[in-house]
Amino acid sequence: MKLKLLAGVALLGAVLAAPAAAQQPPIRIGFHAPLTGFAASDGKSSLNGAQLAVEDINAAGGVNGRKLELVVEDDQAKPEQAVPLANKYIGDGLKLVVSGSYSGPTRAAAGVFQAAKIPYISAYAIHPDITRAGDYVFRTAFMGEVQGKAAAKLVGDILKKKRVTLISLNNDFGQALSAGFKDVAGKFGLDIVSEYTYGMGDRQFGSIVASVKRDNPEVLYVSGYFFNGGPLVAQLRAGGVKAEIVGTEGFDTYNFISIAKDAAEGVLVTTSLDRDSKLPQMRKFIDDYEAKYKVGADMVAASTYSAIEVAAAALAKAGPNDPAKLREAIAATRDLPTAVGKLTFNSLGEVNKAGQIQVIKGGKFHHFATIDDPVLLAAPTK
Amino acid sequence: MYYVELLVIGLVWGCTYALMALGLTLVYGLLRILHVAQATVFTLGAYIGLLVANRTDSLPLAFVAATLSAGLLGPLIYRLVYEPILDKPPFVALVASIGVLIGMEDGFRLIFGPYGLSFDDNPWFTATWSLGGITLNLVQIWMVAAAVVLLSAFALFAARTRAGVAWRATVSDPVIAQNFGVSVMRVRYLNFFIASALAGIGGVLVGLLNNLVEPAMGSVISYKGLAIIVLGGLGNVPGTLVASLALGVVESFGSVFLDKVLDRDAMAFLFLIVVLMVRPKGLLGGAH
Repeated sequence: MKLKLLAGVALLGAVLAAPAAAQQPPIRIGFHAPLTGFAASDGKSSLNGAQLAVEDINAAGGVNGRKLELVVEDDQAKPEQAVPLANKYIGDGLKLVVSGSYSGPTRAAAGVFQAAKIPYISAYAIHPDITRAGDYVFRTAFMGEVQGKAAAKLVGDILKKKRVTLISLNNDFGQALSAGFKDVAGKFGLDIVSEYTYGMGDRQFGSIVASVKRDNPEVLYVSGYFFNGGPLVAQLRAGGVKAEIVGTEGFDTYNFISIAKDAAEGVLVTTSLDRDSKLPQMRKFIDDYEAKYKVGADMVAASTYSAIEVAAAALAKAGPNDPAKLREAIAATRDLPTAVGKLTFNSLGEVNKAGQIQVIKGGKFHHFATIDDPVLLAAPTK
Repeated sequence: MYYVELLVIGLVWGCTYALMALGLTLVYGLLRILHVAQATVFTLGAYIGLLVANRTDSLPLAFVAATLSAGLLGPLIYRLVYEPILDKPPFVALVASIGVLIGMEDGFRLIFGPYGLSFDDNPWFTATWSLGGITLNLVQIWMVAAAVVLLSAFALFAARTRAGVAWRATVSDPVIAQNFGVSVMRVRYLNFFIASALAGIGGVLVGLLNNLVEPAMGSVISYKGLAIIVLGGLGNVPGTLVASLALGVVESFGSVFLDKVLDRDAMAFLFLIVVLMVRPKGLLGGAH
């Protein structure tokens, strides 16, 4: 009886071992995003971007012959969800995790990954404290302040306008953007005539529209997400406001255009994605995304795609088993071509890259300008 | 003129709140349930209205479909969720109601996607009327018209019709009303139908105003609705209307003068606290 059992176990072992030897198991990358809750739309784009990146990498042969696999979890854009998720990833033995989420959960998880010395890449969360968690935390998107500075340069240097009204979202995203803008507004000769803030849940902006009409600025710098910005821009135009509108990467999605419709025409956005790019990686991402999902690519998807590209490049260099080596490999990333252009990390784990200005024309995003100013757009190093 | 414009904008917002809050106060008046799940009905109306409008290019048809679908969902929620727990303490129904709201919100997300939907063609939004420097679009004008007409119709219904009398009798004492031959059950269904139909119409109008219908669009307005009905004196219909308009105006001014310190969605509750400190029974005094 005992012998039979032993033989059975041995046989079972042989059966299990055979395919494992022929094909190595996939390398697992943790990935969390808000798949439900108020941020589920960005969570969906983010997951799309991550899955597309994994598909593209696997189709090209994987990483050193091994396939990538995402371990996807829903953080509901809540910090209190992100911490147990982070611990679960660590407990499951994952060696690399990518955040496709907002600043709240990413910031909360960053400390946990830093303490466990597991490399963690934030795709598009912009709060400055995220990378300050330590040397295991990286970010592939522009920090809000940096993007705000790019917008100020756009208004002063390229549009040659002076009088600006700021309309910003009252969360870390909106506040970081307007802080960056105000920081360098004087340098570009801008005069900030008025400033309004609104909340995440706001869709009705009648009193701001009335106030903007009274203030009569030449340019509006508007932060927020597409679900705020779409209604806001539509209401500004319907209210007869003619001022030029400069938006942020939160508007860089076709959902923005489908809400604002004709009012979106001529709106400029500061972003990382150039729809008319000739860079092969950016082109491939934009075309593959449209082919797979039947919608135009957006900034969130692009940033997440590039975060997975950064992860894959590090895995190729350092192997999948040693988090410390992986961290070193990510930190050493120099001019890596990705879906959002060439990425280089600074000593804080922040990215340095060129900023893109897109304009909406004929219901599509098009190239307007590139802001390649390494001094102005240098990410902070502490 | 600027201040007049802010006042007008506030009154338009107030009308939106009134369409939502009247239903909440009706349900509270009848059953003592804080019907947070009203937001679900509001969102359903918006989605159905949008789908019908995009299919048929007809906004009137969209309103009919929204009114009917919302009007049916309300009584259904009553039948399936509230009726089995009517003998439990009120917080049980409140918790159940919040459960329905959260569940349906994710249901909308699964069915219609997380990005929200927009009207293909939104002619009322772009048709604007200007009077003395104040610009309103046709949706805003319809919002006010809908609130005035529907709420007046409701007042007439309650005062002049047999069903209205039965409804008022049931609100003041269901047992005696029943002894006089009023079907309490029918009054309840009618109550939920009216409350939900109003919310459904409000949903389509808000969808048109935002040109965006999204899974969570009802939740903020629903919690604000609770603040409004408390402000108005629980179960007090005229009080609810006054509170709706007052909150609209407070938000309109607050969102440009207090915007640096206070989220607009928090103003309702600050306003509530201030009013209750001065008038503990709400703006128009005593509850039922």
